Amino acid sequence: MDTESKRKQKAPLIELIFISAVLTAGVALEIFTKGFDFSLISFPVNLILVLILILLGTIKGSSPLSAFGKTPVALILILLITLLSVAMGLIPGNSIKSSWPFALVYMMLMVSLSMAVGRRLRTLRQKVSGFFLKDTGGSLFKDTGFLLKGGGPLVKEAGFLFNHLGILLLLIATGLGRGDFKRYFITVPEEKVEWRGENAFTGEVEELPVAIQLNDFRMELYPSKIMIVNKTNDVIAGHGKIAENGGEIAENGQEEQERQKVQNSQKSYTLSEVNNTFNMGGWSVRVDSVTDRPGYAPAAFVTVKNSYSDTTLTGWISCGNYFQMSRQLAINDYLMVVMTPPDPKSYQSDVEVFTKKGVSKSGTVRVNHPVTAGSWKIYQYSYDTVMGRDSGYSVFELVYDPWVIVVYIGIVMLFLGAVTLFWKGGER
Amino acid sequence: MIWHSFIYFAGASLLMWIAGTALLYVKSLKRIPEIVIICGMLIFCSFIYLLWDEQGYPPLRTIGETRLWYSLFIIVTGFLTYRRWKYRWLIGYSVFVSAVFIAVNVFKPEIHHVNLMPALQSRWFIPHVTVYIISYALMGAAAITAVAALIRHKSSVTGKDHLVLLTDNLINTGLAFLMAGILMGALWAKEAWGDFWTWDPKEVWAFITAAVYILYIHCRIAGYKTNRILLIVPIALLCLLITWLGVEYLPIAQESIHSY
Ligand code: HEM
Repeated sequence: MDTESKRKQKAPLIELIFISAVLTAGVALEIFTKGFDFSLISFPVNLILVLILILLGTIKGSSPLSAFGKTPVALILILLITLLSVAMGLIPGNSIKSSWPFALVYMMLMVSLSMAVGRRLRTLRQKVSGFFLKDTGGSLFKDTGFLLKGGGPLVKEAGFLFNHLGILLLLIATGLGRGDFKRYFITVPEEKVEWRGENAFTGEVEELPVAIQLNDFRMELYPSKIMIVNKTNDVIAGHGKIAENGGEIAENGQEEQERQKVQNSQKSYTLSEVNNTFNMGGWSVRVDSVTDRPGYAPAAFVTVKNSYSDTTLTGWISCGNYFQMSRQLAINDYLMVVMTPPDPKSYQSDVEVFTKKGVSKSGTVRVNHPVTAGSWKIYQYSYDTVMGRDSGYSVFELVYDPWVIVVYIGIVMLFLGAVTLFWKGGER
Repeated sequence: MIWHSFIYFAGASLLMWIAGTALLYVKSLKRIPEIVIICGMLIFCSFIYLLWDEQGYPPLRTIGETRLWYSLFIIVTGFLTYRRWKYRWLIGYSVFVSAVFIAVNVFKPEIHHVNLMPALQSRWFIPHVTVYIISYALMGAAAITAVAALIRHKSSVTGKDHLVLLTDNLINTGLAFLMAGILMGALWAKEAWGDFWTWDPKEVWAFITAAVYILYIHCRIAGYKTNRILLIVPIALLCLLITWLGVEYLPIAQESIHSY
């Protein structure tokens, strides 16, 4: 911040008028059309727009147009997209992210960035050639340490380029690239092949250029919990429901809350620990044996003793599943021992993927671990929640995104930009 | 249940931190106060380790567990910033914020023992949340230095004032972590849901937060009046708090995939 007054730029009046005009046009378009349609920018339109961006990036600093790539305009545009985002983040059910004003501000932001990056690259070229002209003759290697210092020129230039080019690439690939983005849901029964998918945007069933064969669906569960609950508590009703649904975890918010209340207030006991005993409110519960076979609901044989009297009770308890009733063991008129349905720990599908080009690829699709086949990525999306681990089908999400590589380049650049930002700190 | 002994671990850590901060004002002690503060960190770390070990997965699942990391990292970043800039009050501030978070965890734990759902079992989980918490700590400190500069100098504050330069430093460093956090979030979202960015309410507010800090950086470059620019910093912190804690309470929260 050496010369604050000198670097102060005057208000960019013409640019402001231009931005207002574009915004007004955006609002008008928004009123007369049904929002911004991303298929408008599908290939090759998006590629042409990228070329135009590159072209705008070559505008010389002496041109009056170049003001669009300078800080005051950048500030206005960042402010505008921030304000639109605030509206997006506050108004329930809004569709700002696919509205014309948002799309146009996004476009202008890309133009501004492209021009800023272009200008910087040109001055960098001059600087580098100047540096070599002046400093050749051995001195190049003597005092290069200053380049890497927090405020040193190398960190500064690299920082600027990583951050701004990185953001630009991200905006291009996730914005303009959206025109080519496709997403489908596809349900495949075990040991079957499926090539038709439901378009996530239109809901229509389409034939896809990829087919999926599901060889096996597997699920691992967390162990069930055993606890003592109050019979008159609403929770019991909740548990009854859970059992009726066949082991499905109740989605209903209140039941979930009640469930959590029990989990917090009652001591729970993990099923896998056979022969362990836990005590609660004067009762001790011991698990004598456990059965947990595929296709059947987990069950446990428990012995309940009262610590003060000689009362001893034994019996089977089970959380039930899609075809077996849940079983509780009543201790007295108020209390009973129950088992909660197990939560899924992980689920995965062994698949074989075929493309129209004749390529086939086998792999395991699991949450957070998609399988990639060309420009397609296959995600584990869902399964038969009523059947739980015995689900006979698997639901996949298929995503087609030919721009994904550009996104990764942008992300890597921004990571490097973050490192330079950290390195630079506030030194001047 | 190691959570039951949280109050002892946290109490011991807090005592060390308070004592260490007080001792920083005694000149003759050299490294001793710093060692005391580090010991406090180690005690706190050992609690996190024990909890992690007991649960079998990193304690980053609930808001209560997030606060646990925040209590630690606000001290760590405060301490590191002190090492570089020698602002003792910054540690005092860190200890205070940490104490508030510890107190919340003691009196309103929200530490439900819910099993970790499959979508959260990701390699991005720990770095994503950890990096965010470091950023939150730095940005919290930046808000204090910015407001302190405004209070001390009123409208005559200049861009070269050391508090303003410290604010720049904290924001640049904090934004580095914030950007890293957003990017890891995007990579995680791609793995989990097939899309880097969906303008989900939580993502929208993360974007707003980063954008406001980027505004601050560029306003400083443009050289506008420093006292006006500094006002951006508490506004940015407000956005950050909305992103972190407030989104759940907005009416739009029902549309979020991030509220579990
Ligand atoms: C991660 C996000 C960003 C960071 C960390 C960042 C950081 C910076 C920094 C540190 C500078 C000063 C460079 C120097 O003088 O060495 C700068 C300049 C600038 N930035 Fe950004 N920026 C970001 C995003 C943006 C965006 C989204 C725009 C939008 C158009 C933008 C436009 C500009 C412009 C026009 C300049 C002035 C360039 C010049 O005069 O050479 N920046 N930025």
